[in-house]
Amino acid sequence: MLHNKRRFRLMAAAGLASGLALLASGCTPASSGAETEKTLTVFAGAQTPVVANFNPFSPNPLAGTVGLVYQPLFHFNRMSSEDPHPLLGTDYAFSEDGRELTVELRDDVTWSDGEPLTVDDVIFSFTYELSKPQTLTEAVAVDENTVKLVFTDPQFVNVVGLLGTALIYPKHIWEKIEDPTAGTNEDPVGSGPYLVDELSGGAYTFAANEDYWDEDKPALKELRFLAIDGNQAAEDLIAAGEIDYTSIFTPNYQSLVDGGMGYMVLPSDPTVLYTCANADLGCVGPQTDPAVREAIYLAIDRTTITDKAFVGLTTPMSPTLALLGRDDMWIGDGQPHEAPQDPDAAAAGKVLEAAGYTKNGDGIYEKDGKPVELTLNSVDGWTDYNNTGKLIEEQALAAGIKITAGTFSWQEFSDGRQTGQFELILGYMQTTPLADPWKIYNDFLTTDFTGPVGEQLDPSHFNFTRYSNPIVDEAVRAASATDDASVKAAAYDRIQTEIVRDLPYIPVNINAAQTFYNDTDFTGWPTEDDLYAYQQVGSVLDMSYILQNLAPAGK
Amino acid sequence: MKYYARRIAFYAVTLWAALTLNFFIPRMMPGDPADILLAKLERVGRDIPPGVEHSIRLLLGSDTGESLWTQYVTYLQRIFSGDLGVSVTQYPVSVSTLISESLPWTIGLVGLATLISFIIGIAGGIWIGWKRGTWLDGVIPASTLLQSVPYFWLALLLVYFFSVQNSWFPRIHAYGLEFTGGPEWSWAFAGSVIYYGFLPALTIVLSSFGGWLLGMRNMMVSTLSDDYVTTAEAKGLKNSRVLLTYAARNAILPSIAGFGISLGFVVAGSIVMEQVFSYPGIGKLLIQAVQNNDYALMQGIFLIITVTVLAANFIMDLVYGFIDPRTRHNG
Repeated sequence: MLHNKRRFRLMAAAGLASGLALLASGCTPASSGAETEKTLTVFAGAQTPVVANFNPFSPNPLAGTVGLVYQPLFHFNRMSSEDPHPLLGTDYAFSEDGRELTVELRDDVTWSDGEPLTVDDVIFSFTYELSKPQTLTEAVAVDENTVKLVFTDPQFVNVVGLLGTALIYPKHIWEKIEDPTAGTNEDPVGSGPYLVDELSGGAYTFAANEDYWDEDKPALKELRFLAIDGNQAAEDLIAAGEIDYTSIFTPNYQSLVDGGMGYMVLPSDPTVLYTCANADLGCVGPQTDPAVREAIYLAIDRTTITDKAFVGLTTPMSPTLALLGRDDMWIGDGQPHEAPQDPDAAAAGKVLEAAGYTKNGDGIYEKDGKPVELTLNSVDGWTDYNNTGKLIEEQALAAGIKITAGTFSWQEFSDGRQTGQFELILGYMQTTPLADPWKIYNDFLTTDFTGPVGEQLDPSHFNFTRYSNPIVDEAVRAASATDDASVKAAAYDRIQTEIVRDLPYIPVNINAAQTFYNDTDFTGWPTEDDLYAYQQVGSVLDMSYILQNLAPAGK
Repeated sequence: MKYYARRIAFYAVTLWAALTLNFFIPRMMPGDPADILLAKLERVGRDIPPGVEHSIRLLLGSDTGESLWTQYVTYLQRIFSGDLGVSVTQYPVSVSTLISESLPWTIGLVGLATLISFIIGIAGGIWIGWKRGTWLDGVIPASTLLQSVPYFWLALLLVYFFSVQNSWFPRIHAYGLEFTGGPEWSWAFAGSVIYYGFLPALTIVLSSFGGWLLGMRNMMVSTLSDDYVTTAEAKGLKNSRVLLTYAARNAILPSIAGFGISLGFVVAGSIVMEQVFSYPGIGKLLIQAVQNNDYALMQGIFLIITVTVLAANFIMDLVYGFIDPRTRHNG
């Protein structure tokens, strides 16, 4: 009995002590390390716990691996049509037929382990099994600092992929590694402006590479990448001044801007309605009729969608799928620029009536006894898309089209668009990394990038609509084989005539990416006047290019 | 001794059943992890370097052509050699690395918070039960109110007042950013962990001690009216002796059993807290795994949860048999 009592007291005492310890430590201020220069803190989407993975061949290496450690030959600015900025390469030229690409290399670059970066490393990177472009036939050294790449097809349109995103790896390291995808490469040897420094569960840091080939750069000694779960925490930390550079979506951006953060909204992915458009490949539903697609196109109230679903942040989209502003020179004469921002139910009705539809008793158009009834799904939890779906449901109903908006899981979204078993999906496209819409035309619209309904598309094939049009296929091929802007423009004009009429993707608007950056303590950010790189942190190569150009304010 | 042998055999069978379920359930889920991973990468705008796609397919190819039985045997062998496979979400990091990085944080924080909450609840319950009928009874509804507030809302409120409005406590993470290399053995680090863990721990304690308090108080009240307590008082024993060794010792038994169960849920029960505070624990790994069809990671976490629940119950069985001799003899 006695010993029981003592145990009880001990338990109580232990509980009290731990409670006190917690309280006491709560009162002591956090010790802050004396810092001579503020460390730039980036939030690039990492989640806790951070686990080291700097393997460039793995699908998801930590942000900074690509760009800060491993570099491509050039940096292409997707915000303008200017010449690319030289990185490891200094100059490049295509042969007349576009099948040979000659690249001049910088001659004073060393890897972070002290070995020189030579033409052999570049040849290795372009011929290595995991990074070899599919169309490459050979890569040869012309002289010590020049490499010639030979391809089976013209590569004019592929220039960003070859020079702007293909990374250069150290041959002496990777040729010895047997299973390159399996390691986490915790101490990477790269040629970029920063070296991996330290890593903890909540953050990881990069230190400046003292031997970087550009002697003036990087000016910031240290970079820190934070791991945060959830946008709310990120927003709180921006407000508290603990994040210096990030891209998150928040409707409350004004309060952060008032708090002194630099702020920029740049166009990102286009939002579109995927329609399963091609009955020949197995699509079913009213949307296989181009008249129905055009009627929906006309019935959508894009102004309301922008205001209500996207807090006013989106920009208009062109039915030619070219990015307005940047790609204006590629929009053919007489082709529409903006998709209509206001709805025109009467015009939509006229299109349907001309195609033989009549209104039934419920006020819904029908043809051969079949009413125009469609389902439109978006991924559950993407609230902007979910709300857009609901708005389109109302707007279409006003034009006599019954659309039922619903939500589904990411998995169903992925399966649906891959197999073509859907009527309408609210989805997105990717902006091309260059002022040229070719990649969208090729990846989203050509017959080579699609397949019959029921068959999974290859993951790099995005023609979810099953659209197939020989005129488009031919024009995309013609555009890829030329470096002549007028020939290319003519080809694009032919494509645009087809897709503006057929509308396999019904344009909604261009999403905006919000970026917050600290321009009080750091200078050198891209500005409206000097948009030298795309400022979103998710675009890792742009982020890295920006980070190497930053400097502490006041220097 | 027979009692313990029987318990051990029971737990061994349960463990086997859990491992088997753990093997089959993810295989019945729809979807191909490789597709999901590639589509996710595309969604965040990553340019997938040539070749990577091929290697993902090879490594995650769901259809290996092996029979289910062969897979099952290999699975059991791998589990017992501690190899839990490779995570898809964080490929090529191994599942055991991910779990070992996050498990200590969850056990440390949530385990400690659960313990503190239990101690506060029990001690408070004993006291309030003893003083039944006084103003102290009013504490009970107040504490159950705290418990009924949705957990995430309480957490967000605390965050708002204590780290956003007044920056008294850190907003995220398990320790300070000045420890750039990760955990280290030093007083400064220990202090940082306690400082960073205070707010998350507080939310757990606030939202859970009410249940212990209520249960313990009610048991105390009914025990205090038992004959042997009256006898003890009639014998003229000291109040403290009647309270602790006669009433409390018997009243605490149901709470101990409940505590065993709640210890088992420490590993899984912290998902919301970890999300709100970006705490590098295991609950969030589980969310990530489920969202990405990361079978290997899911299996690894389920395994850990199962094993901890079983282990906690086993220990509680032993403890229970010790403090309540009746359980060893009957049944």
